[in-house]
Amino acid sequence: AADDAEKEEKISTFDMVINLLNQASMAKKDSEKVEKLQQVQELVINKQPELLDNFTDEVVAFQADRSSDVRKFVVGFMEEACKKEQELLSKLLSNFYMLLVDDNVNVLKKVIQSSTQLYRLSIQWVSSSKASKELLEASWKTVCDIQDTIFQMLDSENDGVRTQSVKFVEKVVLTLSERQRYSEIPKKVESYSSLDQIPNNNPVLIKADLVTLCQKALQKMLEFVSSPAISSVNLMAAMGTLTTIAKQRPQFMASAVEAFEMLHANLPPTLAKTQVTSVRKHLKMQLMNLLRHAGSTEFHLQITNLLYDLGTNATEIARNMPKPSAVAKDKKSIARKRSPL
Amino acid sequence: MPNKKLSFAVVCSSNMNRSMEAHRFMSKKGFDVQSFGSGNQVKLPGQAADKPNIFSFEWRYEDILNELKRKDLHLYTQNGVLNMLDRNRRIKARPQRFQDCPEKFDVVITLEERVYDQVMEDFNNRESEMMQPVHIINCDIQDNHEEATIGAFVICELAKQVQDSTDLDNEIDELLQEFEEKSKRRMLHSVQFY
Repeated sequence: AADDAEKEEKISTFDMVINLLNQASMAKKDSEKVEKLQQVQELVINKQPELLDNFTDEVVAFQADRSSDVRKFVVGFMEEACKKEQELLSKLLSNFYMLLVDDNVNVLKKVIQSSTQLYRLSIQWVSSSKASKELLEASWKTVCDIQDTIFQMLDSENDGVRTQSVKFVEKVVLTLSERQRYSEIPKKVESYSSLDQIPNNNPVLIKADLVTLCQKALQKMLEFVSSPAISSVNLMAAMGTLTTIAKQRPQFMASAVEAFEMLHANLPPTLAKTQVTSVRKHLKMQLMNLLRHAGSTEFHLQITNLLYDLGTNATEIARNMPKPSAVAKDKKSIARKRSPL
Repeated sequence: MPNKKLSFAVVCSSNMNRSMEAHRFMSKKGFDVQSFGSGNQVKLPGQAADKPNIFSFEWRYEDILNELKRKDLHLYTQNGVLNMLDRNRRIKARPQRFQDCPEKFDVVITLEERVYDQVMEDFNNRESEMMQPVHIINCDIQDNHEEATIGAFVICELAKQVQDSTDLDNEIDELLQEFEEKSKRRMLHSVQFY
């Protein structure tokens, strides 16, 4: 009887979804259409994920809708669908790639944001899926195409698209580089978020290629920070990214410190006076962050010189020097790194 | 098509005077706004400049009001603190600390440089997950009743321009520069990520 009840509920949810999809197609207002589709998402992703496969195509078909809000919704839906059911990546990655040419910046920014969220997941799926090698190769190729397209968007005419691309590049560098002794480890430890967690003998993900990709991404970021026409917002976003990279991957600490030194000496001439104040303040904050990090010891001289130049006093610098207890913490972080995820 | 309604946070040190006046004024104008303090405690003027009244963020405005009435009705009526608390309790129950708020905003407006620093530090300590950008803007407002009233007006004008922008991420640099010139106020600005 319990089985029957379950079956019945499933059928009724199935009908409900069809009904909602019909209502969405007929809806005159964009907001109404999005609302109906949101209800579909709730039903097929959260309430009865076993229905997801049946309806993915129907929802994704709305990616051609004339309303940018609907298209933006579809991107979010695809992201959640892939998170729920990783196998859907093989189908949906190409849809993300197609939507990267959307002429609406809000849709575009959402695609970049979702691609950032799905990057680690795609690697996890490619390295552990039982799907055919051909399919995994084709999917990885699409991930690389998405990646190359977003790298190019660092030169987009739109400032917000560039900002969102910066965060994508950050994710690529972190995912494709190894954790090291002094790596700061995020509180939410996720698998496949660093190169050392990717299997060595994977036929599709070749480690040497991944290392090259990572170097390319980092190089892109360093070029971006030093470009003379960079906007104040993007400069600060990129500075934050370099700090995150240096803290989580101290092997790149030298690149970050050098970039900050260059930046301090040559702030972009296009910045207005108060933007210079904001940028210098931001730079000081990044340097303080690096100073506190246990992996920055060999760069303390450069970092403190910059901080003095930025008007920091000796007491403040002393207060932000790594504490002796950092060594103990470091031991803990090594233990965490070694423990199975 | 109207722009998506942006969510604003206005932050001062104690979530008592400046941020509450801005909160009240912006709510009245129809903005999606919440207010916060960024300090460790809530500080209010006391019997002498070096003796402030200090409360935790747990206290409700109403309880602080009653406590100060009990302490010195005359003094706190005269300096306007009771009036302010009475206004506050009509807006929400208790002061809120920005660092403890899990909600995400599109724009955070801080009303003092020290508060801006604390908010930036807070974002430093949070881990970005969604990579959703948030603009942090500072506009200094002195901590007294008159300046809070004028300040709320300025902040509301700024919020209006931010809300009316068709592509905020692309236009904010220019928008803030123009606003600085017009309002003759110095602004700080940065972008962080949730």
